[in-house]
Amino acid sequence: MHVEQQQQKVNKAKKVDKKQRRCLAIIKSDCEVIPSEDPTTYLAILNVGLSNGLTEECLLQAAAGTGGKVTEVVMLPGKSYCFLVCDTLEDAQAIYQGMHNVSNIGQQGAVAYLSYVMGLPALARKNDWNRPLPSGLLVLPDFVSEEEELMLLRSISEDGRASEGSLKHRNVKHFGFEFLYGVNNVDPAKPLEQSIPSACDILWPRLESSASKWDWSTPDQLTVNEYEPGHGIPPHVDTHSAFLDPILSLSLQSDVVMDFRRGEELVQVRLPRRSLLIMSGESRYDWTHGIRPKHIDVVPSASGGLTTQARGKRTSLTFRRLRRGPCSCSYPTLCDTRQTKAPEELSLTLAAQAVSLEQRNVHEVYDKIAVHFSETRHSPWPQVADFLNSFHPQSVVLDVGCGNGKYLGCNPQLLAIGCDRAQGLLAVGRQKGQNVFRCDCLSVPVRSASIDGCISIAVIHHLATGERRLAALREMARLLRPGGRALVYVWAKDQRKNDKKSAYLRQNKAVNKERTTEQEQRQKQQQQQLEQQVPNDTPLPVHTNRTEFQQQDVLVPWKTKDEQKTTFLRYYHVFEEQELENLVSQLPEVRIVRSYYDQGNHCVIFEKKDK
Amino acid sequence: MKLSTYNFLTSMAIKGVKVGFPLKLTINKKEVVETEFNPTFVERLLPKLDWSAIYGAAQVNPSDMRQKMSFQAELTEDIPAVQPENIGENEALLQKLHHLLFEIDVLEGQLECPETGRVFPITDGIPNMLLNEDEV
Repeated sequence: MHVEQQQQKVNKAKKVDKKQRRCLAIIKSDCEVIPSEDPTTYLAILNVGLSNGLTEECLLQAAAGTGGKVTEVVMLPGKSYCFLVCDTLEDAQAIYQGMHNVSNIGQQGAVAYLSYVMGLPALARKNDWNRPLPSGLLVLPDFVSEEEELMLLRSISEDGRASEGSLKHRNVKHFGFEFLYGVNNVDPAKPLEQSIPSACDILWPRLESSASKWDWSTPDQLTVNEYEPGHGIPPHVDTHSAFLDPILSLSLQSDVVMDFRRGEELVQVRLPRRSLLIMSGESRYDWTHGIRPKHIDVVPSASGGLTTQARGKRTSLTFRRLRRGPCSCSYPTLCDTRQTKAPEELSLTLAAQAVSLEQRNVHEVYDKIAVHFSETRHSPWPQVADFLNSFHPQSVVLDVGCGNGKYLGCNPQLLAIGCDRAQGLLAVGRQKGQNVFRCDCLSVPVRSASIDGCISIAVIHHLATGERRLAALREMARLLRPGGRALVYVWAKDQRKNDKKSAYLRQNKAVNKERTTEQEQRQKQQQQQLEQQVPNDTPLPVHTNRTEFQQQDVLVPWKTKDEQKTTFLRYYHVFEEQELENLVSQLPEVRIVRSYYDQGNHCVIFEKKDK
Repeated sequence: MKLSTYNFLTSMAIKGVKVGFPLKLTINKKEVVETEFNPTFVERLLPKLDWSAIYGAAQVNPSDMRQKMSFQAELTEDIPAVQPENIGENEALLQKLHHLLFEIDVLEGQLECPETGRVFPITDGIPNMLLNEDEV
């Protein structure tokens, strides 16, 4: 018995040693901090940090319990470790002995491991929070009192309308005018019955006195967003042509950290509960803003370091005034008016040239790149495979835009048939023994109401107008028998939903390696050469692969693998959030079963109604 | 092209065409690919297929005389013009249907719209149903 207990003790000690070594290896490769066998005044806490929710307060409390005195806390954003600095070796030793393998400050009460180290990481003193705010940005703390906060919350829920809950990661409610997410704009001709609640009128005189330098008019549009902890909003700029400057946003119920980005620049801004954010000038027009979907924010601590702060449910009131005309700002990068010259003009051009554009920049390209393209398309996406496996055996399934037919063999218990426009891709599928025929997705030569299931993966984003994309969906609805279901995938404009980069962005080797200016320059030149290849009559920008989309209608380069490295340009219309849902909801014969976001794609499953 | 695929194809997308089904099938070259016979699969699939197009396909005469002999012997005698009841108990017929729908692979031939006569060629086993912009 005694021997056994001793053995257990030895095993446990070995386990701790092993974990300690593993953590030290991570820290060493991460930031070149060298461990020390002998005590030093620097302590690394190996397995708890900002990334798993440690607060400075909690760490200091644990350290204080040992009797050792701490002079500095270093917590690094995104890291699961942190550092303590002491004045004397005695203090450090007291903390080591009192905390190592003792303190339950880890996630779910896990014990912390400590180690002496030779110094602090080089990055430690670079604090992102000291950057200046984007020009024109102002946060006015305590703009409303707690009583007023309650009163405002009551007034927005009072009208009896439930919040629309239409967005995937937050609940939304509009007053004055509805913000249409599909087109990212408002319709000035269609005011809502409910204008901005009069309770909000207390805000304007205060604004008058504290922010008199703006040329502003009383807002006529209010968007209320409800965020549960863990919710966020992707980086975006409020459509220039939709709203005037400035934009006001009142934070209620909880603090949050908002990210402002311009190119590679990132400025994090803390929005305290009951504060008013004012975005004007550069910050309104030239920076995007967004909130990462997290449960915990990393914020500056009282001692000048960093700590964590749990989010609560937060309600934001965004007040804006409609512009009712084109934008005349001097920040072209994110300006919808400037970018597309006139948006109507581009869509008219696209409508007039849809057929020839699709022919030249979709069909001809796929025919030319068929073999190479097919080599890159082999593994089925899991959620598409799940959909195919959800059908009864002997169901008939049609893949509209089947490419090389990679989904046709997914579920051998189905009768799976595929169609595509690209002869080269069909030939690949045919060689694998798949059932395929050639057609256009706008007129599928299949009997009406004859198909149990339909998939169309990465197809209708190649169609150049909204009408044509809708027509393709209508055609799928026609083929389905009542109760039949279809799954549609389209490429999303937003490639970093939930702040996780999609696989498409993650594969960007240049950015991941911190691209050098010279490389950047070279890429820009290539880009310009490519743009010159495109006929002038279709003013479409050429997208830089593995980066985020700047516009919805773009040409995406495909480089062949042969020696010539020829580049072909494929036309894409990348979808905004809700855009696909809005199209499907225009078809009265179907209902949406589910919509989701999968690896940079917007996805909808719809079902044909019984007659 | 397998004849199970043929069963779903129509020319109704052509401007002015009402039904466009069944398409008139011509076989210039075919191949028989043996596949495992699963009577349940054939039986349960039948409600989704159009019998007149199954029967029609069984009547097709391959243009090549040598193929014609064997083809007709294989098929036409045994597929009735009207779908019989309780087909699940008739395993011999299910076997014939399996052969017709899943083993005969049309390599070269054509499909013809019954209303306009528009011809869709079948090349290397792939029917080309693509229409010109002015036909839709």
